Amino acid sequence: MGNEIDEREAPRLDRWLRSLNPGAKLLVALLLGVAALVFPGPALAGVLVLVLFAVAAGAGALGSFAKVMFGFGVPASVILVFIQGFYGSSNATFIADFGFARLGLEGVLAALKTVGTVLVFLGGFFLMNRTATPSELVADLTERGLSPEAGYLVLASLNVVPQMRRRMATIQEAQTARGLELSGGVVSRLRAALPLLGPVVMSSLTDAQERSMTLETHGFHLKGARHTTYRAVRRSRADAPLVMAAVTLVVLSVVACVVTALGLVSL
Amino acid sequence: MAQTAISVSDFSFRYREAKGYAVRHLSFEVEEGGFLCVVGSNASGKSTLCNALVGLIPHHFRGKSRGSVRVFGESVAERSVAETSSEVGFVFQNPFNQLSYTTDTVAEELAYGLCNRGVPRDEMERRVIEVARAIHLEGLLDRNPLELSGGQVQRVALGSTLILNPRILVLDECTTQLDPLGSEEIFDIVKRLNSDGMTIVMVDHDMERVARCADTVLALERGNQVALGTPREVFGDEHITDHGVDVPDYVRITRALDRAGLAPGEVELTEEPTVDRVREALGR
Repeated sequence: MGNEIDEREAPRLDRWLRSLNPGAKLLVALLLGVAALVFPGPALAGVLVLVLFAVAAGAGALGSFAKVMFGFGVPASVILVFIQGFYGSSNATFIADFGFARLGLEGVLAALKTVGTVLVFLGGFFLMNRTATPSELVADLTERGLSPEAGYLVLASLNVVPQMRRRMATIQEAQTARGLELSGGVVSRLRAALPLLGPVVMSSLTDAQERSMTLETHGFHLKGARHTTYRAVRRSRADAPLVMAAVTLVVLSVVACVVTALGLVSL
Repeated sequence: MAQTAISVSDFSFRYREAKGYAVRHLSFEVEEGGFLCVVGSNASGKSTLCNALVGLIPHHFRGKSRGSVRVFGESVAERSVAETSSEVGFVFQNPFNQLSYTTDTVAEELAYGLCNRGVPRDEMERRVIEVARAIHLEGLLDRNPLELSGGQVQRVALGSTLILNPRILVLDECTTQLDPLGSEEIFDIVKRLNSDGMTIVMVDHDMERVARCADTVLALERGNQVALGTPREVFGDEHITDHGVDVPDYVRITRALDRAGLAPGEVELTEEPTVDRVREALGR
């Protein structure tokens, strides 16, 4: 299998990540995000983001990981720090005065926490998605009791965009062959592409109808049958300890949140 | 005596919101192991008939229906499409719309219907290999179905239907979007399945192929049944083309030779006897 060669040549950490159960990876990604969300202040989110960067680097995916994280993190940080730092209602401690507005520490921390939490979710899901295919994840979730309808919805939705893109490319080729000008500036290209949207949407609807017929004729709604999966879902001895560690982190974050809320400790 | 696989009795159907009936008073039977080809021009009701045979009418397409469609004695209207699919496999025209879009490999795609039936994994693996061998997909099992050619995807679609061991296979213009080579590949497989005992109902526009393989031809025109019989009976009818039904070129040639008195005789449906008749005509 082509994939096996790729996997053998991949860094050790990447192979280890791939050996983990996809459901466990999803749970850990979710729990890390929840921990960052619950923990008071941006510190835990910051630490987790750094850990995720280290994991991505070890797995040989630093470039694509950094692109995603910075692509979201930098603009989001700038916008949120500007809004919350200058105009946050909780601002009481001012760390800089720009004349037209003052930068509040509380607002900056809240902005960093929000961005940090989203980055933890984003980074966790990125690594999960990189090391487990959607069908593998859904196979695992179906085995754990997810309804086949829900599983289908997830997978089919993920495939809608690439399929529409393919359809768009086909229609574009056909129109270009008949003289439609699709080169030039953004505005002229947009103007030329707009009329293509109708056929793309209409043909996608027709496809959806035929595909639902295919599902029916393949026994998708067969009553009384328990769905099984063809793909053997990977399981690892590290799955349970990893999930436990993530659960522990969430529990500690909740404790930290309660302790801080009661004013016993200031974080 | 062979069992009746399909029994259509005075069947008419009108799609909801349509003004007229898509098919009217269709009545025919297909014996188990038979090969029925449905022919006719566009909008003659061929796809509607196929949809009725697999139960998509009346379960998926709503409308007004009369008469009955029975598969091995059971009315398709009284069973769900999923239940009927255990006995009747259906292959559509567009290969790409027959993919589940939930799988990463051809092997998974082939096994999709088995997953829906709760078949254990080791049994699925055995059947995937069996079907892949039968329809020459062995080398593609680890490929992504979306990266295959139209002909290959159509073979995957056929395989994902055959893996369910249907007793009847309905093919609705399934070779229309394929190149001649891909089309012949599919057709060779269908012929082999039929000689192994599977009942085939096929909509096709290639009349030479229909004449070569079908044991019964059903001709439709604007929803009406205009002819039913052996290929020789249907294509031998001089007036069949008046109903928008094309005939094999061999029929035209031998009829012309007969009319001109150059090589009198019945119409021929296949290449070899036609060549003999042409030789006979040239010999004179």
